[in-house]
Amino acid sequence: MTAAPQPATLRPTDEIEAGHSLWQDAWHRLRKNKMAVLGGIFIILLTIASFVTPLVASDYYKHQNLDLGATPPSHAHWFGTDQLGRDLLARVLYGGCISLSVGIAATVVSVVIGVLYGTISGYIGGRLDVIMMRAVDILYSLPFVMFVILLMVIFGRNIILLFMAIGAVEWLDMARIVRGQVQSLKKQEFIEAALALGLRKRRIILRHMIPNVLGIVIIYSTLIVPSVMLLESFLSFLGFGVQPPMSSWGTLINEGAKSMEECPWLLIFPGLFFSASLFSLNFLGDGLRDALDVRASKD
Amino acid sequence: MSDAFLQLQNVKTHFPVERGIIFRRHIGEVKAVDGVSLSLLQGEILGLVGESGCGKSTLGRTILQLVPPTEGAVILAGKNLAQLKGRALRESRADFQMIFQDPYASLNPRMTVFDTLVEAIRAHKTVPSSELANRVSELMKKVGLSPRFLQKYPHEFSGGQRQRIAIARALAVEPKLIIADEPVSALDVSIQAQIINLLAQLSREMKLTLVFISHDLSVVKHISDRIAVMYVGKIVELGPATDVFEKPLHPYTKALVSAVPIPDPEREKKRLRVILSGDPPSPMNPPGGCAFHPRCACAVAECSRTVPGLDNFNAARQVACIRAKEIN
Ligand SMILES: Nc1ncnc2c1ncn2[C@@H]1O[C@H](COP(=O)(O)OP(=O)(O)OP(=O)(O)O)[C@@H](O)[C@H]1O
Ligand SMILES: [Mg+2]
Repeated sequence: MTAAPQPATLRPTDEIEAGHSLWQDAWHRLRKNKMAVLGGIFIILLTIASFVTPLVASDYYKHQNLDLGATPPSHAHWFGTDQLGRDLLARVLYGGCISLSVGIAATVVSVVIGVLYGTISGYIGGRLDVIMMRAVDILYSLPFVMFVILLMVIFGRNIILLFMAIGAVEWLDMARIVRGQVQSLKKQEFIEAALALGLRKRRIILRHMIPNVLGIVIIYSTLIVPSVMLLESFLSFLGFGVQPPMSSWGTLINEGAKSMEECPWLLIFPGLFFSASLFSLNFLGDGLRDALDVRASKD
Repeated sequence: MSDAFLQLQNVKTHFPVERGIIFRRHIGEVKAVDGVSLSLLQGEILGLVGESGCGKSTLGRTILQLVPPTEGAVILAGKNLAQLKGRALRESRADFQMIFQDPYASLNPRMTVFDTLVEAIRAHKTVPSSELANRVSELMKKVGLSPRFLQKYPHEFSGGQRQRIAIARALAVEPKLIIADEPVSALDVSIQAQIINLLAQLSREMKLTLVFISHDLSVVKHISDRIAVMYVGKIVELGPATDVFEKPLHPYTKALVSAVPIPDPEREKKRLRVILSGDPPSPMNPPGGCAFHPRCACAVAECSRTVPGLDNFNAARQVACIRAKEIN
């Protein structure tokens, strides 16, 4: 026999077969979901447009032209102008910037609180878990819109406060979801195997727990953003949200609704953008849920 | 036995049962393991069998200190594991490992095989990176997998392959004792034998002490040196595998043995069947006396009063039945 001696070591490049992580698989599945992809693309384009507009034309949205007044869409003003002669396209994009910022900031707040709270409650368990979850139940049963309105009345109409308040409302769901996930993970045999190996707690949480709850956190985050945006526009509609000359989609829709008869474009364009982004975020969230939910799609 | 490698002395694991949401009331105990004494030699394979819920897994997890025993000592190579805590316990975990029932749940789905094995290797030793790849491929070969698959994730393997990965992970820390908790019950019948043989072969090659848990006597019969039969938290019969299988002593073991089908149809037709009636009792309030007496065909009045100890029947065999001598 003249067979070449087998190398004892493994050459990393030519022999090892590549694996596909669950993240990669999820990405493939997500890409096949047309609605989710369209939703994602729309959100990305809208985000870029909304955040770039205030940068390149910082004052244009409040630039008044009282001689012009309200005009329907034209070459000069694609979406028309409002009663003060302000360009509606600029105002819609600027409003998008505010609405999306509120949505994202409040979501970040709620994710941070919810994940920490839920992980502690689920991981430690026992009596602490019972107490922490009862607290969530109690907060859940409070009429939150009233609470937020009260905050606005007491502390004034402050946009930072607005998303803090909304974030504080939205973390409850996240906390419950993460807690449930952590509880079921804790019983999984691979966590017990990690304990049996003698790994440290920190490592078990970082390497074994967090990567496995991340998927569900991502899914619910994309679904929290639209619900926060809805809440913000509702508050703005009631007059508790952002104040002129700043505009959010909520305030634009509010103003548009007042002159719906004479100048319908003032309602149509902000409404269109608002609904389109809510739809997109929801499609994206649903798509992510289908793509990331290992149990439903594998085995 | 002075040369015992693993010794259990009157091990009890009771789970408290509590009611109430914030203020808990103690309303009873599940006596999952209730006074088990046992000793194993180094390299010995023990088959641990019994019905579902009799406490096999709890006994296994108690030995490995994944649940603390309520009472008793677990002595491995002269060290009482039940007294170890925190860091000392974590460090001693290199000596004993577990293989779980469900190979779909016992591997982290987000980690490649390579990462899983490296984590296990590095759990107790500092190994230079240059040597890691070698170590990992050796482990893979030991369990009959090609190192080509190292960068793959658990969901890309079949159940049997995953169980091999789980075995490799357990071997990574170079343990002396492995507890395999129903390692094949989640697998296809065609693959079960391969995994059983792999475990037996590894145990022999590496002088590993192996406790093989199963609810199915026929699974453990071929690889075990000895078999322990468990019923509601207690060991009711212990002896060499062939003896227990050929001539069971305890009425419960007789029933278990008679439930194993014989491949020869002639003998299958003629043999005596002992049918077990009723369900096993709840471990929260087992019947007084011998826990098996309500289902036992040989029970007498005395059986409901005296708790039988696991006594020597002869030099090699032990049985917990007050009528053992009469009925055998
Ligand atoms: N963590 C726990 N808390 C309370 N009770 C438990 C706990 N773990 C197990 N038990 C109870 O202890 C008893 C024995 O359970 P165990 O899992 O050890 O049985 P088993 O023989 O492994 O059964 P199976 O064949 O179904 O795996 C059962 O009644 C079970 O409900
Ligand atoms: Mg079990």
